Amino acid sequence: MLKRKSLLGFLLGVLLLILSACGGQDSASPSTSSDSSGSDGKRTVVVGGLYDITGGTGDVGTPYAEGEKAYFEYLEMKGGVEGLNLKLIGKDYAYQIPEAQKLYQELRDKEKAVAILGWGTGDTEALRQQVASDQLPFISASYSENLKNIKESPYNFLTAASYSDQGRAILKWIVENHEGDNPPTLALLYNDTAFGRSPIEDIKAYAKEVGVEVVDEQVIDVQATEAQSQLLNMEKKNPDYAIIQQTWGATSTILRDAKTLGIDTQFIGLNWAAGEGIIDIVGADVAEGYMGILSHAFPYEDMPGMAEIKEYLDAKGKTIDDINQKFVQGWVAAKIMVEAIKIAAEKYPDGDLTGPQIREGLESIQNLDLGGLAANVSFAPDNHAGTEKIRLGIVKNGKWEPITDYFSHND
Amino acid sequence: MFLLQMLINGIVVGSIYGLVALGFVLIYRASGALNLANGEFVLFGPYICLVIMTSLNVPFLAAFIGTLIFSAVLGLVVERLVIRQLQNAPTISVIMATLGLSSLLAGAVHIIWGHSTRTFPPVFPQTPLNLGGIIVTPVYLWSFIIVVILLIVFSIFFKFSKIGLAMRAVADDRQAALSMGMSVKFVLAVTWMIAAMVAGIGGILLGNINGVNPTMSAIGLTVLPVVILGGLDSVIGAIIGGFLIGIIQNLAGGYLDPLVGGGLKDVVPFIVVLLILMLKPHGLFGSRGIERV
Amino acid sequence: MRNLFVRECGNYKTSYKKDMKLFGTKSEIIKWLILLIILLTLPLYASNYWVGLLTLCAISAIGAIGLNILTGFTGQISIGVGAFLGVGGYTTAILTTTYGLSFWISLPLAGIVTALVGGLFGIPSLRLKGLYLAIATLAAQVIITFIISRWDRVTGGTAGMVLSRPVIGNYVLTSNASYYYLTIIILMLTVLYSVNLLRTRVGRAFLAVRDRDIAAQIMGINLFYYKVLAFIISSFFVGIAGALLAHYTMIVSPELYNIQVSIQYLAMVLIGGLGSILGSILGAIFITLLPVGLTSVVDLLTAYMPDLYQLFSAFKEFVFGLAIILFLIFEPGGLAHIWQNIKNYFRVWPFSY
Repeated sequence: MLKRKSLLGFLLGVLLLILSACGGQDSASPSTSSDSSGSDGKRTVVVGGLYDITGGTGDVGTPYAEGEKAYFEYLEMKGGVEGLNLKLIGKDYAYQIPEAQKLYQELRDKEKAVAILGWGTGDTEALRQQVASDQLPFISASYSENLKNIKESPYNFLTAASYSDQGRAILKWIVENHEGDNPPTLALLYNDTAFGRSPIEDIKAYAKEVGVEVVDEQVIDVQATEAQSQLLNMEKKNPDYAIIQQTWGATSTILRDAKTLGIDTQFIGLNWAAGEGIIDIVGADVAEGYMGILSHAFPYEDMPGMAEIKEYLDAKGKTIDDINQKFVQGWVAAKIMVEAIKIAAEKYPDGDLTGPQIREGLESIQNLDLGGLAANVSFAPDNHAGTEKIRLGIVKNGKWEPITDYFSHND
Repeated sequence: MFLLQMLINGIVVGSIYGLVALGFVLIYRASGALNLANGEFVLFGPYICLVIMTSLNVPFLAAFIGTLIFSAVLGLVVERLVIRQLQNAPTISVIMATLGLSSLLAGAVHIIWGHSTRTFPPVFPQTPLNLGGIIVTPVYLWSFIIVVILLIVFSIFFKFSKIGLAMRAVADDRQAALSMGMSVKFVLAVTWMIAAMVAGIGGILLGNINGVNPTMSAIGLTVLPVVILGGLDSVIGAIIGGFLIGIIQNLAGGYLDPLVGGGLKDVVPFIVVLLILMLKPHGLFGSRGIERV
Repeated sequence: MRNLFVRECGNYKTSYKKDMKLFGTKSEIIKWLILLIILLTLPLYASNYWVGLLTLCAISAIGAIGLNILTGFTGQISIGVGAFLGVGGYTTAILTTTYGLSFWISLPLAGIVTALVGGLFGIPSLRLKGLYLAIATLAAQVIITFIISRWDRVTGGTAGMVLSRPVIGNYVLTSNASYYYLTIIILMLTVLYSVNLLRTRVGRAFLAVRDRDIAAQIMGINLFYYKVLAFIISSFFVGIAGALLAHYTMIVSPELYNIQVSIQYLAMVLIGGLGSILGSILGAIFITLLPVGLTSVVDLLTAYMPDLYQLFSAFKEFVFGLAIILFLIFEPGGLAHIWQNIKNYFRVWPFSY
């Protein structure tokens, strides 16, 4: 009898849990701005956020989400946007796609978001069709080339050069800087996911155009603990350069095993394969000489755009040592979204802003100056790729140093 | 030359597989449970070791022993709280319980330590050794040596020590062991403790090789092919299965990857599983069960 | 007119036919009709958000019923559900996007193709039992996912494929409510089928195989035939669920069908109650809504302690595992059993003995 009662109690507890989901309608979401509810004549614009804080990519997702949230807080600090009540409501989906699906539904139906700041290839790909059907602009940190396709993904926007464009820029750099009589040879190291395979065909095609020979391709699993067989296979073809399209885990495996096996290929990582994390994981001497794409600025670079970030940090009692490049990345993404909302609000002064209006706002952004934090972005109704420009950097003495300014393969 | 390097790679990687598989097999023999949470036992080890090393500032060896103690406690807690309650439950309940346990433990690790990768301060010498043209990192070599030592230790343990004999008896026939006056409770607890310790050692070695982060628990699934190949209830089978799977993985990766476009390393063990299940379900060294109606 | 609260209070069946009836008393039929009407009119008074959530629950319920037929009725453990969902989703994607077939043709075809693949992977079940079968299905999961991501030409490889919502005549099912109706109707058909499956010869054979398969064989039940049939029927429903999910989210990609999904479906079936159709539905609702509930609790707590947001978010995984273990230890019969207990309690209320 006692056991039955305790079970009943347990069941009631579970019911309460589920009921609280429908109970807390508007009251309990972690919004990052003041709670004025539109009664003072301001229009409320809700931007939804999908974060990965506790999931597989949480180590880069957390600072990115912090950067996004920080920008909205900074706006509030500076008095907000004229006539608008901006809210960022975002939650952690831990890189589980079914959760992203449910979260997106919640943001769309319950919070009435009119634009989404997404995160990774997983959620961006999974929600691509739905945001098109629901007409919500989607800015994320996935720079997959297929997101540029307006017919397939009319509501997705890229805030940095796509992986394919990054690869093309690297190829251009190789052609211009290769020393030696033979044409440069290239290997491609990637993983077996949509993210990994995204730029491969485009890189191979462009390599043919510019005269770089792709001699090898190796697939290395995203969670690989060792990559010796793949690297030995690659060494047989002896490429001069190798482009890595991986996240930090597999990249560190590759760099470490390459050093162990004594492979002297020059490794160049695309933007997610570069970043401070690599140096922390493999250590300064394994990372020395590793090159990579720097899509956004590091806090220790003294860019003009860092001024506002520093202002925000000072108000919070933090310094630039507390943030990293991913924070800057999130900040920039949020900034671009807010710019679009501002433009849309001016263009449509009456009524609630809708997704298509914000999309128009995005598409009218021309050469938005990001103060060196990232390459300036421009959009157009037929171009959702913000920029094709990136920078290349190299690890020297345990730190990333840019060796080029923002450039693209079309320059 | 290439072949030899692949083989050596496979053997040293396989030594870690064998270590993790050992814990698996021990638990299966004693509790009859497929411990799908073994990956999480592997996960806890290096984190605890790192925490002990960094916060208490002790040398590696002391932290190692501390980790062993902690893993033993973890195994004990799991056995007492979870497995004990499910003694008579059907197989699927126990499998599901270990799956739930793996979520729980993984969640606990994420709560406490987050997702970023941490690195061990260099414990083993970093420069790779060159043995006649074959390149081996000292970490791998050490793990191989440790596995062989453990194998010898366990063989002696199971053959000659009282507890070892008791473990074998309980694994063989629990009722008979009970009627002989052995404390089955104690033996089960010891089994889980040893399994957790072994998994923890495997985790520390893995952590030294590649940094410590939550994806390490994936090895829990990779050792399933190892134990199937070796036989679910054979300790020797686990170790040899580990070597074999490591070798097959590397050979497939080295020779077949270019043909298929890569990614074979992870699928091949499961293809091997299917083949083994078709041809010899009890593995190379496992024993056929007798089913009574 | 009989009292609506009349309930059976004993076993007074006088003929075999009466014993096999689905509804014991008239009041049961009325109660089920009321439930049906509530479900069908839900979009009228529930918010769009809830309709969307319930659609996801319904799709999971169809898949869970499929899995329950295999694991609960026939006792064959399968950890490969995720891959079969993927087969269903990809089949309908290929048929509708590449070949331009209508959704109404590709849905049953998706079910049939998944059934065939399931049957194929069920063939080892003759020789393998329990743990070994579980591992074989795990291998199936990994291998099928590998094939899907490699077979570029047909499946679009790792980039996945896009789908569109089904069309009836000129009306496209874009709204939440319209898809909800589609799913609920299919769910009802599934429930009707599976409940009746238990009353037929095939269903009884499944139960016999679950309890003692060697004894069943002695009694003349062809083990191989019925085990493979269980895989086929179960995979059919899982394929349908996969196809429905694919058209709902309008995308398929290999990352959507990993082992986490398989574990979730197994959890649904186990927490709901093995061998019980009601259990599958309750389990599906529980597992689908658990993260939502937890998120709300996290939000509630975060309003008071904002710095611990990161900590609380990681709790979801922890609680998922904890829920599974608690249910397995304290209520192995699952939610269906709890429901039975509640019903029994009220059956003789206020007399408790």
